[in-house]
Amino acid sequence: MIKIEIDGKQVEVERGATVMDAARKAGIHIPHFCYHKKLSISANCRMCLVEVEKAPKPLPACATPTAEGMKVHTHSAMAVKAQQGVMEFLLINHPLDCPICDQGGECMLQDEAMGYGGSASRYTEEKRVVKPKSIGPLISTEEMSRCIQCTRCVRFGQEIADMMELGMAFRTEHSEIMTFVNSTVDSELSGNMIDLCPVGALTSKPYRYTARSWELSRRKSISPHDGLGSNLAVQIKNNRVIRVTPVENEAINECWLSDKDRFAYEGLNSTERLTQPMLKQNGEWIEVEWQVALEYVANALKQVKSSAGAEQIAALATPNSTLEELYLLQKLLKGQGSGNVDFRLRQSDFSADGKRAGAPWLGMPVAEINSRDRFLIVGSFLRKDQPLLAQRIRQAVKAGAHANIVHSADDALLMKANKAIVAPSALADQLAQICKALATAKGQAVAGLERVTVGSEAAAIARSLASGERVAVLLGNFAQQHPQAAQLAVLAERIAALCSGNFGFLGEAANSVGGYLAGALPATDGMNAAQMLAAPRKAYVLLNVEPELDCADSQQAMVAMQSADLVVAMSAYKHRATEYADVLLPIAPFSETSGTFVSTEGRVQSFKGAVRPLGDARPAWKVLRVLGNLLDLAGFDQDSSEAVRDEALGGQDVTGRLSNHLDLPLQIQGGTAGQQGLQRVADVPIYATDAIVRRATALQQTADAAMPAARMAAAELQRLDIQPGASVKVSQGGSSVLLVAKADEGVPVGCLRIPTGCAETAALGPMFGTITVERA
Amino acid sequence: MSKLVKFFKSFLLLELLKGMSVTGRYFFARHITVEYPEEKTPQGFRFRGLHAQRRYANGEERCIACKLCEAVCPALAIKIEVAEREDGSRRTSLYDIDLTKCIFCGFCEESCPVDAIVETRVFEYHGENRGDLYYTKSMLLANGDKHEAQIARDRLADAQYR
Amino acid sequence: MMELLQTLEQTGLELLGPFWMPVWTVIKIFAIVLPVMGGVAYLTLAERKILGFMQLRPGPNRVGYWGLLQPLADGIKLLLKELIIPAEANKFLFVAAPVLALAPALAAWAVIPFGEGMVIADVNAGLLYLLAMTSLGVYGIIIAGWASNSKYAFLGALRSSAQIVSYELAMGFALVCVLLAAQSMNVGDIVRGQNNGYGLMGWYFIPLFPMFVVYFIAGVAETNRAPFDLAEDESAIVAGFHTEYSGMGFALFFLAEYANMILIAALTTVMFLGGWLSPVPFLPDSIVWMLAKMSFMLFLFLWFRATFPRYRYDQLMRLGWKVFIPLTLVWVVVVAAWMQTPYWLW
Repeated sequence: MIKIEIDGKQVEVERGATVMDAARKAGIHIPHFCYHKKLSISANCRMCLVEVEKAPKPLPACATPTAEGMKVHTHSAMAVKAQQGVMEFLLINHPLDCPICDQGGECMLQDEAMGYGGSASRYTEEKRVVKPKSIGPLISTEEMSRCIQCTRCVRFGQEIADMMELGMAFRTEHSEIMTFVNSTVDSELSGNMIDLCPVGALTSKPYRYTARSWELSRRKSISPHDGLGSNLAVQIKNNRVIRVTPVENEAINECWLSDKDRFAYEGLNSTERLTQPMLKQNGEWIEVEWQVALEYVANALKQVKSSAGAEQIAALATPNSTLEELYLLQKLLKGQGSGNVDFRLRQSDFSADGKRAGAPWLGMPVAEINSRDRFLIVGSFLRKDQPLLAQRIRQAVKAGAHANIVHSADDALLMKANKAIVAPSALADQLAQICKALATAKGQAVAGLERVTVGSEAAAIARSLASGERVAVLLGNFAQQHPQAAQLAVLAERIAALCSGNFGFLGEAANSVGGYLAGALPATDGMNAAQMLAAPRKAYVLLNVEPELDCADSQQAMVAMQSADLVVAMSAYKHRATEYADVLLPIAPFSETSGTFVSTEGRVQSFKGAVRPLGDARPAWKVLRVLGNLLDLAGFDQDSSEAVRDEALGGQDVTGRLSNHLDLPLQIQGGTAGQQGLQRVADVPIYATDAIVRRATALQQTADAAMPAARMAAAELQRLDIQPGASVKVSQGGSSVLLVAKADEGVPVGCLRIPTGCAETAALGPMFGTITVERA
Repeated sequence: MSKLVKFFKSFLLLELLKGMSVTGRYFFARHITVEYPEEKTPQGFRFRGLHAQRRYANGEERCIACKLCEAVCPALAIKIEVAEREDGSRRTSLYDIDLTKCIFCGFCEESCPVDAIVETRVFEYHGENRGDLYYTKSMLLANGDKHEAQIARDRLADAQYR
Repeated sequence: MMELLQTLEQTGLELLGPFWMPVWTVIKIFAIVLPVMGGVAYLTLAERKILGFMQLRPGPNRVGYWGLLQPLADGIKLLLKELIIPAEANKFLFVAAPVLALAPALAAWAVIPFGEGMVIADVNAGLLYLLAMTSLGVYGIIIAGWASNSKYAFLGALRSSAQIVSYELAMGFALVCVLLAAQSMNVGDIVRGQNNGYGLMGWYFIPLFPMFVVYFIAGVAETNRAPFDLAEDESAIVAGFHTEYSGMGFALFFLAEYANMILIAALTTVMFLGGWLSPVPFLPDSIVWMLAKMSFMLFLFLWFRATFPRYRYDQLMRLGWKVFIPLTLVWVVVVAAWMQTPYWLW
């Protein structure tokens, strides 16, 4: 520890800390622009100049290491003169357009200029003008002239997003921040550059000119998208969500936010929002009062129950629903005598049901990811499915950890990794190889793996894992949706056990863990999501679900919906349910209701509604509660979402109920060879995961939301005699769609990568399985 | 002694007569009343009357929708909504001043970075119906167009003090 | 002038015989009441003008040239306004009160001589009649206050009655001095008694100067005028006794107040300022003098209003009981004693 003195205050800091660190510790503000605690030091703005005794000239606080007995003055005549001089230089080229700048009111330059600048400028020459360039639908560089060349965005791209998409071109007066010729900024974390930019040079495009910072009120909320549970500051004006910014939480999202969390709010203000309960009468949709709609639903459910039996009623919910909603939904169904409830809509293997020791979770706190030194990530579109978790893994890898990937698609993960890219059907075999190689290395035997032959990729991965001390074995969304998901989990658990590491699941959605805790699972005699759709029921209650986009087998889901007598769609949006539903109940999305999400690390995070529900929409937990009353069910008289939560969880601490252990034997089936056609590899594109994101207009214009394509290896294209870019007819389960063929070396031979969750591919069958493609 | 003086003073009504002498004198003094419709008091160039929105010489409206006036307005009389115009410039899609709320403090014109919202010397206006004094952007711009010469003169006179 | 009148009387007698007397009296009553009413109307204008001038403003100047039609406009306005009778009011008394206030103010004029022989009723006990009549006006106010069934009106009425009782005494004693000096209760005789051939030197205001001041001040108090207008103290009791009156009811109170002012001005003139007598011996006595003196007194009324703030109620009572009554009592003795000396010159 080093003792130094800043402005007469004694501070003790660790060796190697800078003067800026010491000042922050002492609570002394030193003006700065380029310094950011999460980014490397570049010391190019020179705003943090301070006087250090015995130093001949002012030194930049952010880049000056502390030394024993150092005496620093941040407000001495020398420091103030230096700061004022720097500020005057910074303002030479900065346009005086604060009144129309979206950053106005929350601008670092504005604040520091008020605190440390002079009152007038002596500069009378022409100012520099930078021509705006389009760098994508999210970030506006319309006023790039405002840039003060702090390079925070550049360093963010290099160090956090790991895609250097912005750089500083040219020199001196002419230097400007730009992308590589005509490219756009496509990082899934790009929105953070808007926050980082200390001036208004990089601003949010969707937010542009919609409000001034002082008009907004900020409400805390929790992201309803991926499993991380990022903390949000939902900013509202006139009962409308105007933008979303991160709330700093070192244990979860640090100070970042993925673009999905940040820009999905546009979906909340979508014109497709459902604002009035609707009933279908003689094929016509009519708007009705809540009372009418709910009584209709209750009567219809009672009728189905009495005429066809309770087991003909089924309920499906998305894992983006809140804990309260899921809990009340299962309570409603089970109260009716039906065990057919499920929220794992994209899962296809349910053999683990009843064998689980608890709710599957990450297996460790999110913050611990940074300290792991070996990762085995199985079946995960990591960057797209969990953007901020991926960021933490990348930081760990940069710090020396090894990443090992077993997957069916080789997406750019922006990090060094051992990869085993195999067809979906060979995934389990690949894991078994790793398991065997690891067991051999550790000198242990694992029963049931005798017939497995270890390949070179598996051996490399096993070597990497064996050499680690803190191993994390993580199963991604793809592995959880896999038809052999239970076996993959069993194998992964064995691997983790062999190298005494943590085994965990990367949560698919905001409430993937919460769904288990809420008990929104089929009862012992009930049907799971796949069975409910495979054997169509007479009545369906859908919570937030768009069956053609949210289910593992969209084709089957639509058939089930269309054949049902009664479909009650509880949704925030008017969607394709109008084709088959009988009742549409407008419910409030996360911003308009209170609720709870249990993140993938088992963190219970409750939030309050930020705005009033739009139109006549109501929080779904209230709708379900009233429905429970109308059906004369007991236990539906909670008067707050907190009461529902406490009933569902029985306390905030849920750690005891989380466990990834599966009580299943290891069963290695031989590769599913001899299949006809190609194997489908289905990803859920990052901006197609849930109803809100699908309606976020700016996100839908990004490269990540481009038209789905039929992607396969070049060899496969050649074999089928298809030119890349040509239109192809893709068929699965009796129906076909037209897509554009694309060469993608990341897709293993024998596979065809076609995303799900998009309207264009909704006609196709299950996410896994065979699929045929031919020239259109 | 003083008691005696006081007694005589009050008994001889001296103070009352003094008071009457004051009013008596004023009776013959010149009236200071300004007989309004025929006569008017002089106005300063900072007179704060009816609001107006100004334009540049080329006809472009000055207002850039920075909302500073809305933020500074102590009576919450100003309501602004912003939109990007087709040419990409930041403009108001709504600029209303409720003159029944306005207290004519002049903060709006003081806060305006582009001298767009100004208070003119016009004070002779009225409304006959509820809502007549709710001035919309077009009404304010029309005011500006009508009085631009006077407004410009007043800004010029004030410029040296700003 | 006199001849013309006599011819008129002669012709009337011939035409109507015994009925002429009442008719002639009615004509004379109208000849007095109508000018008094006109005077009241223009007194309101004068008041506003004079108050305005004293406050450096022009006063009413929009209706007619110099505001001359203002009283007419006010009159029409008051006539057209609705007369609202409060729900719980005693209707009969509520309506009767303004009449009771105005009637004595007009009746008192019967014994006021405007010139030599220009009087409706030349009664010997005129002074007593006057005392009676001027005191009666307060009944209108008390009844108005009671009939309104309003606390403000009632408080105003109470204040008014207490005030009248207090100042009536001082006023009476002041008149006793006049009575001593003139040795007659006939108002005409009192005026004639002030004629000693030296013009204004003969008027009673010289020997009775303190009484003149007391009488006039008590007169201001009698008429509830500023600074003694506690009966309608708007800062404390809304509008006092006429709080509930509107339209013509209010107008009658208004008329009564101003008629009383003119009456007090006339009485002061007659008692102390030699009525129609000329101030200088070389000018003839005439009704013009009478009117001029009344006008001066009325001007004083307005001047007071423009100058003095309203009394507090205890001050009002103190002034009446502890200053005026002792003073007048002393002066009665002084005058009586004086008259026994050779230095009494009147």
